[in-house]
Amino acid sequence: MSFEPITGRYLTVTIAGAPRRIYIEEAGAGRPVLCLHTAGADTRQWRHLMNDAAVTEGNRLIAFDMPWHGKSLPPEGWESREYLLTTEAYIETVLAVVGGMGLDRPVLAGCSMGGRIALQLAALHPDRFSGFIAIEASDFQPAWYDIDWFHRPDAHGGEMGAALVSANISPHAPPVERWNTLWMFMQSGPGVFRGDLSFYTRDDSLIARLGRIDTGKTPVHLLVGAYDLTCTPEDARRTAEAIPGATLAVMEELGHFPMSEHPEGFRPFFLDALARMPRPRAAAA
Amino acid sequence: MLTTFRGVQDRLNATPHLIRLGRLFSETVLIEIDGQEVYLTFDRGRLAEVTEGPSRKTPWRFALRTDAEALAEFWQARPRPGFHDIFGLVKIGRGRIDGDILCLVKNLRFFKEIMALPRAGQEGAA
Repeated sequence: MSFEPITGRYLTVTIAGAPRRIYIEEAGAGRPVLCLHTAGADTRQWRHLMNDAAVTEGNRLIAFDMPWHGKSLPPEGWESREYLLTTEAYIETVLAVVGGMGLDRPVLAGCSMGGRIALQLAALHPDRFSGFIAIEASDFQPAWYDIDWFHRPDAHGGEMGAALVSANISPHAPPVERWNTLWMFMQSGPGVFRGDLSFYTRDDSLIARLGRIDTGKTPVHLLVGAYDLTCTPEDARRTAEAIPGATLAVMEELGHFPMSEHPEGFRPFFLDALARMPRPRAAAA
Repeated sequence: MLTTFRGVQDRLNATPHLIRLGRLFSETVLIEIDGQEVYLTFDRGRLAEVTEGPSRKTPWRFALRTDAEALAEFWQARPRPGFHDIFGLVKIGRGRIDGDILCLVKNLRFFKEIMALPRAGQEGAA
């Protein structure tokens, strides 16, 4: 019996003028790769890749729980606040973690809302990163559902959210990982999935910014699963076409949570994406 | 199609975990396939009755309308993208969901698992 290579620690950073205690996991050594989880979930989505020696060889994979998610507590006074994630708060949080950990131009890999914010950062703060892997990410997705379904006193938002997002999981996914993926949604705090979806389904500011992304300086590679109903291959293709120089791979047997629902199927696509990212000067020296 | 849903009835009523999931669900659901109606009447998670339409007198809580070809693909072990979920059928224009959607969402895992019971490879999965 032996421990997994993943280690977890806490880091307190300042966000919106107040301290936030952030839970961070990492594995491997070398080029830093910062990984962002989806809405309504946490760092556990990345555990398979962090435990994969082929992925961590030469790469330091880092994932953190957003405030309100996983083991990162909500801010003081949460009990009387409505959680609604915004582009600005999300960007500030990612940059606070990059700065707090002293990361030198990491590769940024994000899935779903994490992919959306990765593209926002590619447009607004490219100098802080060496490249972007945007997974199940698109310019904008209005909700085809009512986000208020997922935060109400007469039903369990997590269970409803999990049942909804199961529509985005591929039938090729191993059942055990399908259910592990859904468990994270079921565990999500009250109103958190709704607050994430508010960002994901209401903020369309990325559309106008895609054209300013300079892939000559920071490459952008998009990955999309054919079974993703939320960000379809058509959505990802439209987004990639709006970013000059961006590349796209369609993953025929995967859905919206590829690193979590089907890690074996996702592995070659993620390794290929990492190979497309440059080695930062400091790491290459 | 009536035979298929009678099979669903037998499977559900012999599957304790599904009955537990649906223990607060006592509603009638309309399934419409190529215009042919089947009413599923649930009683505390059990499928009490499967009745053929048409009927203008049977009240239903929500309805799933689709076509036989789409449903046959939905019931494959690994359906093609879009055919793999009831909301996928809606997304690709092969299904429609009407009625009390919130009631469906509150019981979504239960209803999805009921609808997937005829799926190839599900035999003995419970």
